Amino acid sequence: MTPKERVMNTLEKKRVDRVPAFSGMGNVTVAGMRKHGIDFASSHADARLMATLACSTYELFRFECAVVPFDLCVEAEALGCEVNFYAGKSSILYPTIKTKVLKVGEELSIPEDLLERGRIPLVQEAISLCRERLNGEVAVGSYVLGPFTLAGQLIDLNDLLKSSFKKPAQVKALLEQLVEPLAEIANSYAESGADYITVREMGAPSDVISPRMFKTLVQPYLKETIARIKAPTILHMCGDTNMLVEMLNECGASAISVEQKNDVAATRSKLGEEAVILGNLDAYGVIVKGTPGEVEQAVKQAIEAGVDGVMPGCDIWPEVPEENMHALMQAVEKYGAR
Amino acid sequence: MAEKEQLLEEMRKAVIEFDEDRVKELANRWIELGYDANEAIFEGLAAGMEVVGELFAKNEYFVPEVLMCADALYAGLDILRPHIKAEDKTETKGVVVIGTVEGDVHDIGKNLVKLMFEVAGFEVHDLGKDVPLEKFVEEQLRTDADLVCLSAMMTTTMPGMKKVIEMLRERNPNVKIMIGGAPVSEKTVEMYGADATGKDAASALEEAIKMVSSLREMKRRKEI
Repeated sequence: MTPKERVMNTLEKKRVDRVPAFSGMGNVTVAGMRKHGIDFASSHADARLMATLACSTYELFRFECAVVPFDLCVEAEALGCEVNFYAGKSSILYPTIKTKVLKVGEELSIPEDLLERGRIPLVQEAISLCRERLNGEVAVGSYVLGPFTLAGQLIDLNDLLKSSFKKPAQVKALLEQLVEPLAEIANSYAESGADYITVREMGAPSDVISPRMFKTLVQPYLKETIARIKAPTILHMCGDTNMLVEMLNECGASAISVEQKNDVAATRSKLGEEAVILGNLDAYGVIVKGTPGEVEQAVKQAIEAGVDGVMPGCDIWPEVPEENMHALMQAVEKYGAR
Repeated sequence: MAEKEQLLEEMRKAVIEFDEDRVKELANRWIELGYDANEAIFEGLAAGMEVVGELFAKNEYFVPEVLMCADALYAGLDILRPHIKAEDKTETKGVVVIGTVEGDVHDIGKNLVKLMFEVAGFEVHDLGKDVPLEKFVEEQLRTDADLVCLSAMMTTTMPGMKKVIEMLRERNPNVKIMIGGAPVSEKTVEMYGADATGKDAASALEEAIKMVSSLREMKRRKEI
């Protein structure tokens, strides 16, 4: 089986020869940057560099995907936010939103030519380049934010969270407005050749808002966004998702992805065998800071707990030791046979 | 006496129920009656916030609720603070530099910890969010702070804290360093060489008070 077949079959709940190890999120490594002489800050603004880096994790370690972009600002940038790329910084920093463009209650104007805005065309191009380079052997992934998380990029978080409680109708109106643009962006990625799309709704775990608020405020728009995406989808949420997994599963994505705070065995028994569950490696504490032995243990535990695909719970921090990436892949081969 | 206790009880309740207007009303009433402002801050507002922390830990309250409680607390603090007696003002508990590390624009947790420090009578220098790492070191030296608090909300920005800690230790081995944020654990504290973490604003404060008093003790011994 090729890595791509393994990943796509997993998302479609079809037979695989072993559990795949891949991500719906960023997974570039310093090893990849060194190999190609690419610095992180410039990779966000150049499709060729972005694609080269995205493919390098597979080429170096056989990690079974290539995912672009690497930051969480693409949609907000296209909607008018200014982004800080931290150009010229020696350390690795992910781009952040510099200026918020909206307050709760204000009307958001969505440009008609949204798909031409910001770096959306660049991400589309990077997807096509990944596809060319990997020649159908490896799945190409991309991602968009969920409506609530995107709202948190556009609006001051304090304002958004308090308003979610005090003025839910206004927040709902905004989230509703974000559904179509997000789906359009995701579908344009799929048309460019992305095999699967992750929807990252990491702003809404139960460390932040109540399960009740998730149900009334977040879930309806998440569901709608996912329903409109014409590609296999992964719904990812980091943080504490133990109280939310049934609701996440109801959102209708091909798979759900959770991090280390999730008790996967419990999740599996709640959701049953049909659900596709991906996770739940600690992307920093174990993959980056652990020993190769600890990485192996974490992979083994995730598989035993019942994941269909071994996936880091967040973007892999690029300074991951090479031996840990190798340990991850070896462990999947050792314990993941089906 | 009964009325005083009654007012404090209601103040706690109003903070817990994030009733900003009620907190204001009660704080004004407190001042009119000529009671000690400091007592209302500690026994009313802060005590209410402590319960909020417990509700948060029990998953009864979530971040939006806590933010609204903090707003209510601030509303009371604004009214009470100008009335703090001179003798209570002179001795601050300690000087704190606080901020969210570069690359991270989350400041909710940091702001809550800052609020608790302010309530407890610390002198707080808030560097804000997305703070260049060297800035923490400069500000510590400038203010001679006892304590530096670093916050990071994402695994992708957490490693910046390690660099700040190294720089701080090099310049000033005695300064106490506290780190916090969603991905931070006791293990991170050990890995990065920090002194402590607090799982929420209240426990961060408790840790901070312990650290600062041990630091003061050390300084005093040196002077003798």
